[in-house]
Amino acid sequence: MAVPWQSIELTVNGLKTQVLRAGTGEPLMFWHGGGTVGGWDFAAPWTERFQVYLPLHPGYGGSGDDPGMTTIQDYVMHYLDLLDALSIERFNLVGLSLGGWMAASFATQHSSRLKKLVLVAPAGLWIKEHPSTDIFRLKPEELAPALAENLAALGPPPDPHDVDFIVQSYREMTTLARIGWQRLYDPKLSKHLHRVRVPTLFVWGKQDRIAPVAQADSWTALVRGSTLRTFSPAGHAVLNERPEAVRAIAEFVTA
Amino acid sequence: MAAPKEGVVAKWQDDLQFYTMHFMPYVYLPPDHKRFDSLWVDFSNKYFDPEKGHALYERYIKEMVLADQLGYDGLVVNEHHNTVYSMMPVCTLMAAALIPLTRRAKICCFGVPVNLEMPNRLAEAYGMLDVMSGGRLEIALPLGTGMEYWANSLVNPATARARFRESLEVLLQAWTQEGPSQFDGEFFNYRYLNPWPRPLQKPHPKIAIVGSGSPETVQVAAERGFGYASVFVPIAVQEKTFRKLREEMPKYGHEFTPDKALFNVMAYVAETEKLAEEEFREHVRYWVEDTTRTTPRYLNPPGYISPEQLRIRAAATASHGGFDWQVLTSQWRIVYGTADKVANILGQWCESANSSRPVIHHHLGDMPHWKVVKNMTLFAEEVIPRLRGRQPSATAQPLTAEPAGGQARAAAGAH
Repeated sequence: MAVPWQSIELTVNGLKTQVLRAGTGEPLMFWHGGGTVGGWDFAAPWTERFQVYLPLHPGYGGSGDDPGMTTIQDYVMHYLDLLDALSIERFNLVGLSLGGWMAASFATQHSSRLKKLVLVAPAGLWIKEHPSTDIFRLKPEELAPALAENLAALGPPPDPHDVDFIVQSYREMTTLARIGWQRLYDPKLSKHLHRVRVPTLFVWGKQDRIAPVAQADSWTALVRGSTLRTFSPAGHAVLNERPEAVRAIAEFVTA
Repeated sequence: MAAPKEGVVAKWQDDLQFYTMHFMPYVYLPPDHKRFDSLWVDFSNKYFDPEKGHALYERYIKEMVLADQLGYDGLVVNEHHNTVYSMMPVCTLMAAALIPLTRRAKICCFGVPVNLEMPNRLAEAYGMLDVMSGGRLEIALPLGTGMEYWANSLVNPATARARFRESLEVLLQAWTQEGPSQFDGEFFNYRYLNPWPRPLQKPHPKIAIVGSGSPETVQVAAERGFGYASVFVPIAVQEKTFRKLREEMPKYGHEFTPDKALFNVMAYVAETEKLAEEEFREHVRYWVEDTTRTTPRYLNPPGYISPEQLRIRAAATASHGGFDWQVLTSQWRIVYGTADKVANILGQWCESANSSRPVIHHHLGDMPHWKVVKNMTLFAEEVIPRLRGRQPSATAQPLTAEPAGGQARAAAGAH
């Protein structure tokens, strides 16, 4: 179902920031992953219960580029400014992959502003026994198959020779490289996750080939009182692939 | 040799110097190598046979020594990583090896990709080479190809250009301020910037920026008043690059001189044009199709260029064919034929680029030793005198009293 997103543009600490908004209710903010393939229509069930805010990270979509944003903490600070601009004090936060890493970092510092936290196949932890796939090593043609168990869930495949698509992908990878060319995790995050003091749900696709589901054990052990829901068959793009995962998140946040 | 003072040399003929450049490639590719879409970055080093590599080093060094004996003004080495394209991942080592084997030619490191070194260590290495060679060092500073950032992935390509600029600041501070000095930057902090040894040339060896003509690298050269060493790109791109350099440099209080436009040429001289083509063409093909073969992903790691630049490159790649001899020899600086023809064309190129520094590849790809010796010798004996004959006032003097042609004959006789 296509979501009737309203696109708003704000200037946040000097940086153009695009926010997609839909639905009414309590605020639920979604922080997207390192790529934008697949789109955001999966969020339709959320818009029935919440006012969904979907900001495009700096370096993605209609948001501007800031070469100075080189750490996850830069994004945490950016989102504190955005929350001020939107006059949002307390909210529900869902973060996917890279956005999950941002959300986890945010929660270690600002749990009091969160009602519920959902981390979907988050990046950020370094788990030696179950390492994440280094997406910088993936060839363009390897990326989509690594993301999803059911490729059709990501929509029609983009034309690999389409210059607009090539440039957009390059821009997204550039943003990602600024944050994590050397490592797409924070070796210190595990020391700080005990500070997440908000009801937290982890959501994972059982066939995730980017962040293996086995990583979930470390996360749930580090975030006290957290729970895990897994879905199958689903890969890293579990939200696109499994509508029941999206509904489960809505239920967790509502409860 | 006293370098011409900035501002004195206005015409390319007044200061014409001939540099010869060697990539020192590894040429023993497996029979099925065409199935690899890149011979860079991830092409397995299991295909490198050190015994064959040893023989190649001995041969390539001999070719550079011959160039010195033939009277070439500069011996150019450069650096690449994880590739058959070059066996010089540490080009300062090759420069050091050449110093005691050569007498007059400048040793040109064109050079270490600045971002792959700590800038104080670069100042040290180049300081050593300049002092060891008695002031024969000349350097050119490359950002490094995209492939170098995959091979040396500790350096972030997304910050490569900012880091390059800062490294340059460190390097120049190290060479222009008495040590110890302090440096506080975004990427580097030095409490005691004080590299020993200091270069012999004052204030430092001649510096150029290496590049393919991207606006950012031309800008750095213009701001600093450095030379610009254009890598092998189409003639139109080189000319546009040098035009930009000539326009921009005065804006920063620097004067453009023809020695600041260094351009790469592939040249082959033989008795007849037909023979030259026969002997040369297959090695150009090998260079184009094999040693430079890599993927767009490796050419442009994330952040290495802006999305706008990528759009230009992506559009260009779509229209780019493979090896096309007609296109290569008309739109690129590839010249072959008799000495007359090569001298004529090279003279025209120096004229149109207002450059007194052609950097000539006498060896290319899998060219055998005998062809390199023949080409290099004929070029030195027959092409250089024809071009030197054009200069209205001879200001460029070799260190020895012997004219270049005489040296060439003596050396050719010895081989």
